[in-house]
This record gives sequence, structure tokens and C-alpha cells, in this order.
Amino acid sequence: MTMRYQATFLSEADRDRVHEQSLRILDEIGVRFHGERALPLLEAAGARVDRETGIARIPRSLVESALASAPTSVVLGARDPRHDYPLPSPVTRYGLDGTAAFARDFETGERRYGTRRDVELGCRVFGAADMGVLAWPPVAASDMPSASRPLHEFATMLRACAKHGQHELHTRAQAPFLAEVLRVVFGGEAAVRERHPASVVYCPVAPLTHDGPMLDAYLDLGDLDLPVMLMPMPIAGSTGPAGLFANVSLANAEALSSIVVFQLAHPGRPTIYSSCVASMDFRTGGFLGGTPEAGIQSAVLTTMGHSYGLPTTSSGCASDAHDVGAEAIIDKLMTMLPPLSAGSSIVVGFGEIDGDQTLVLEQILVDNELAHLCERLFDGMATGPDAGLFDEIVAAGPSGDFLVSETTRRAARSGEFYLPGLLGRLSREAWLGSGSPSMYDRARDRVREIIEAPPADPLPEATAIELDRVLAEADQELGARSAEATARSPAVAMT
Amino acid sequence: MTQELFDAMRQSVIDGDATAAGKLAEQALAEGIDPLVAIDEAFVPGIRHVGEQFRCGDLFLPDMMLAARAMQTAIAVLEPEMIARASQRKIAGRVVIGTVQGDIHEIGKNLVGMMLTANGFEVHDLGVDVSPEQFVEKAKEVGADLIGVSALLTTTMTGQRTVVEALATAGLRPGVKVMVGGAPVTKAWADEIGADGYGEDAVGAVGIAQALVGAGA
Repeated sequence: MTMRYQATFLSEADRDRVHEQSLRILDEIGVRFHGERALPLLEAAGARVDRETGIARIPRSLVESALASAPTSVVLGARDPRHDYPLPSPVTRYGLDGTAAFARDFETGERRYGTRRDVELGCRVFGAADMGVLAWPPVAASDMPSASRPLHEFATMLRACAKHGQHELHTRAQAPFLAEVLRVVFGGEAAVRERHPASVVYCPVAPLTHDGPMLDAYLDLGDLDLPVMLMPMPIAGSTGPAGLFANVSLANAEALSSIVVFQLAHPGRPTIYSSCVASMDFRTGGFLGGTPEAGIQSAVLTTMGHSYGLPTTSSGCASDAHDVGAEAIIDKLMTMLPPLSAGSSIVVGFGEIDGDQTLVLEQILVDNELAHLCERLFDGMATGPDAGLFDEIVAAGPSGDFLVSETTRRAARSGEFYLPGLLGRLSREAWLGSGSPSMYDRARDRVREIIEAPPADPLPEATAIELDRVLAEADQELGARSAEATARSPAVAMT
Repeated sequence: MTQELFDAMRQSVIDGDATAAGKLAEQALAEGIDPLVAIDEAFVPGIRHVGEQFRCGDLFLPDMMLAARAMQTAIAVLEPEMIARASQRKIAGRVVIGTVQGDIHEIGKNLVGMMLTANGFEVHDLGVDVSPEQFVEKAKEVGADLIGVSALLTTTMTGQRTVVEALATAGLRPGVKVMVGGAPVTKAWADEIGADGYGEDAVGAVGIAQALVGAGA
């Protein structure tokens, strides 16, 4: 028996109000769908579709059918089955933050555009983070051809990390190549379908708009039963209404509209409820994701996902700080604790600062340490019949001590007293003597060990060769298509 | 009466009250006030006041946005009469703005557009998913001084280079300046693709635009 910390962010009545407002948004205002596949599906199912505007008004009945057909659980498989992770989960684990534009160079400290090597290093460090279960290419590989870039990022992640991997696609033409990448890495279509070792993350464009190429690509991948993590991202005040309740209602509407489309296309396809909501900086208009308000919204949406009985993950562990250090850690804790206390199965956010725009390798391990500390906090204390240790107190008596005790010896290993991996607990003199290292310095040493060691989970050589072949084919075909599209542009043709 | 009306027009912009600004503009026309005088002596002082308060931190971005919209509403009412009188409003510069082809994110571009409008620029917003040739055509059509090109994704930001190249090919460079922005965009990227300026946020973009077209703050 334990006393575990819990928090309620939304009463049952308010949960119903969020749901009802979301249904009104879908039915009365509707959602704009770009692309080719969604509108015909919606129209055939009874949504009121305006082909001219691309807006579909989605009735309550379609939402209810979709929620009924979406699975309530899914096991996120992994290349190494020891990393398989069930959703829902009784504990909270973490995901690597994804697709930042920049990386802080580990050697020079320079902030620069990300590369494929950064994707690899980020995923290798994440592989060593024991609280992490969900990899995501943490940075865009700007050194790869843009037409096939997401495929390179996806493949690099799968090579570098044996945990479950998720990523995104940008065009429909990329979908068959991703299917081939997954078949090669996981040993065939059946393994991909049955073990769900990879998934895609889907972000509607707030407010109430669906990106056509991405949506069509993901619908195409439904034949592989590839799970979709739904991540609406309205920013309260700019792309979302300037009220937290209203913004989560909008985000929830976007998530529900996504579930409707994915379930219409492939009933029973795993759809994971998630979010990445934020607020606007009222002075600059900028994106703020590392705030208490982001944390609250994340927790509320976690509650909504649970109320629908869906596998639910959350955003969090986010920071708007431009550098590592105290501000980053404050932001991250502020956005990690709420979804954790709402019982999210996975909080996505390891490794990035700067409004999710900069990957810092050391931050992955610092965040892992924060995750341990939070878990310890939430685990509370044992309160069972033996928890009082009355006999120990008797034995020590007034003015005695508890040092020479089997209980004390066991306690050092029990988990009730967390032993930090990165926090310094040296005496002051010892700390000064070792160069006064910070938490980040210790993380840096560990990162160096990880990246200088041979990769922990390499692909078999034959698989790696086959993967390279698929990527080369993608470069050639998608690059050629991209060149054709460019050539068709009159303005460029003038050149 | 005229001074009272001018005060009310100025205040409508400060309050961000587009409905009042529009009605007061109509009243000004009904009273035979020169639309240019109404703009320069009532609405512009209003937006200038809001800009000053914004810069010193007493007002927020939404205050500025609402003031800009009120100003736009008033100008829309006054514009037909200005055309009839063949008079032209003094503007800080003429800007064509849009999000690059293949990208449908528009909030950053909208913020920049509104801020430029609030600061006296004439803004022509092409929306999202804008092809290089659309930028070129609009720049020619309106005689743009400046093109603002937005991109949110690392995969679409290369479209900013294409726009710069298309403008050059059309013979519009270096006369027409180019400013770029968006989450993955940096000053270094702007330099690499030959753009003239980079706005880190909507507020910063105004200063860049003013510098590029030689308009005072």
C-alpha cells in the first residue's frame, strides 16, 4: 500500500463541457481538410462536406462511431522486444522531442542546423536513457535531400535506437518508401502490422485544418496498421482561442476530427490521443511551450484522452529557454509534472530547449534524471502495516540511532530513497576538488561515453545495406519528382 | 466639432474599435473632411500612440493588432474618396507577403502583416502555399518595395531561396527587397539565400522592413 500523489485537472462535469464544445465545433463550424482522401470518406459517412471550401461538418454520430472503433490499447513494439511498451501504462515514461530545426553542436557548442548525424547521436543517447520509451528524430536532417528527408530521418532513428520509433512524413509519395523501410528493418509486413514497432505523428494545422499531403500519406499507411499519434497544437491567443478551456476544446476537436478520418479509413487502427498545446507570447506573438499554462492544458487533454478510453500520451518536459540551465529545468518540470500527475502513459519532450527548436544531447540525460526524480515524487511513500518500523524505534530508543540496522541497509537499495544519477551529492570539498561539476557537466561526460562507444543496437549488416538501397531509390525517385514539379513552375522555367 | 471628431477617430484606433473607426470615417466623409487629413491627423496619431505604448511595454500585441484592424477599417471606408480625389496616402512602403509553396502555416506571416500595416505599410497578403511566380506577379502588379516570405518547416524554407531567385530572374532585384522569417529561419540562412533581411519575430520584422525601405521608425 502506498500514498501516491494524484491531481485532478478537470471535473467530470467540465470534461463533458469540453467534449460538448468540441462536438459543437465539429458540427457547426467544421474542419477544413486538404488532400484527396479525407473528404470523400467523410461525405460518404454522412458529414456535411463543402467541396469548394474543403470544410466538413462532422456530426456527433461520426465521432461516437470513431471512438467506438478506435482500440483502447496498443503495445508499442520495438526493434528490441525488451523495449516494447504498453499503452495504457500504469507508469509514465518518456519520448524524445522531435523535429527541431537546430542542434547545439556537442563539440563546439555552436547552434546550427541539424544533420543526419545529429539524429543518430540524439537517438543513441536516448537509447541509453532508461526512462525513455519512444524515439522521434529529434532534429531535421538538413543535410539530406528535402524530398526524401523524413525517410532518412526515420531510417536513421531506427538504425540508432532499438526502442519504438515515431516520425512524420510530408508527402504522399514518401509513404510507399516508408512502408518499404519498415519492412526491411523489421523483417516484413507481418511484423510491422503485428508488433507496431513504429508509428507516425500527426499534427493538424490549427485552427481546424488538416494538411493534405501528410494526411493522405498516413491514410495510405493504414494498410500497415501503423499507429498514429494525434498531436493537435493550437497556440492560445494566435492559432487558438485565448482561454485555456477554449483552447483545449479546440485541440480536442482537432484530435476528434483526426480520429474520425483515420477510423473511417481503417476501423480499428491504433490512434493515440496526444497534444502539444501552447500559448502566445503576448509581447512578441511567439510560441511558448514551457509554461504552467502549457502544463495545465497538457494535463487536461490527457484527462480527455483517458475519458475516451484511448491510449493517451502528452507533451511536456518543454522549455522556451534559449540555453541549458536553470530556466530550462524550471520550464521542463513545470510542463512535466501536470501530465504526469494526470497519469499520461508517455510524456514527449526529452532533449530540446528553445521552444522545441534546439536539440542538446546533454539535455536528454538531464531530462531523464528529472523523470526519475518526478517518478520518485509521485510514487509517494509506503503506508503498509510494517511501514511504521515501530520495532526499529524501540530498538534505537531515545538518543539512539538507526545506522546499524538491517532496515537501514535495505532502505539504501529499496527505491524509497532515490539515488540520483546526475545530481551531485558530494561533500563541498570533494565537489570543489573534482572541478565543481554541474548536472550538465556530468551529463556531458556520460554523453561522451555513449557516443564514443560502438553503437549499442546496430542493425544487422545485410539489413543496413538493404536499407541504404531503399533510401537511394527514394532519393532518386522523389528527387526526380521534385525536379519535375519545379520544372513545371513557369517562373522557374524562365530561368 | 471637427476636433472632437478627430479625437474620437484617434481614440477608436487606440481602443482597437474597428466598428467605431469605420463609422467615424463615414462621418468624416459626410462632413466633407479630406480623407487624407482624416488619416494623417486622426487615425495615424492613434496608431502611433499605440506603437509607442507597445514599445515601452504598456500595451501588448493584441492591442496592436486590434488597433491595426481599426485603422484598416477606417482606411477602407476612406479609400474610395481618396481615389475619387486622385490623392494618395503616404505609406511607409508597399509589401507583398506570403507563406512559401507547400507550406500552409500562416500565423507568423499574419502577425508580420498586421504589424507592418500598423506601422504604415501597405500590405498585400497572398496567403499560404504561394508559388514563386505569384510573388513575382504581385510584386510587379503593385510595385512592391519589399517581399516578405514566411516558412515554418525546414523542408519548405528552401522555397524562400526559390522566391529570391524568381524575383532576380524577373529583373526585380535588387530594387525589390526580400525579408524572410519563420521558426527554422536564421540571419545566416537569409544571408546564404541572398535575402536582404530576417525578422526573428513580428516586432523585429517591422524594424527590418523600415530599414530596408528607408522608412523612419
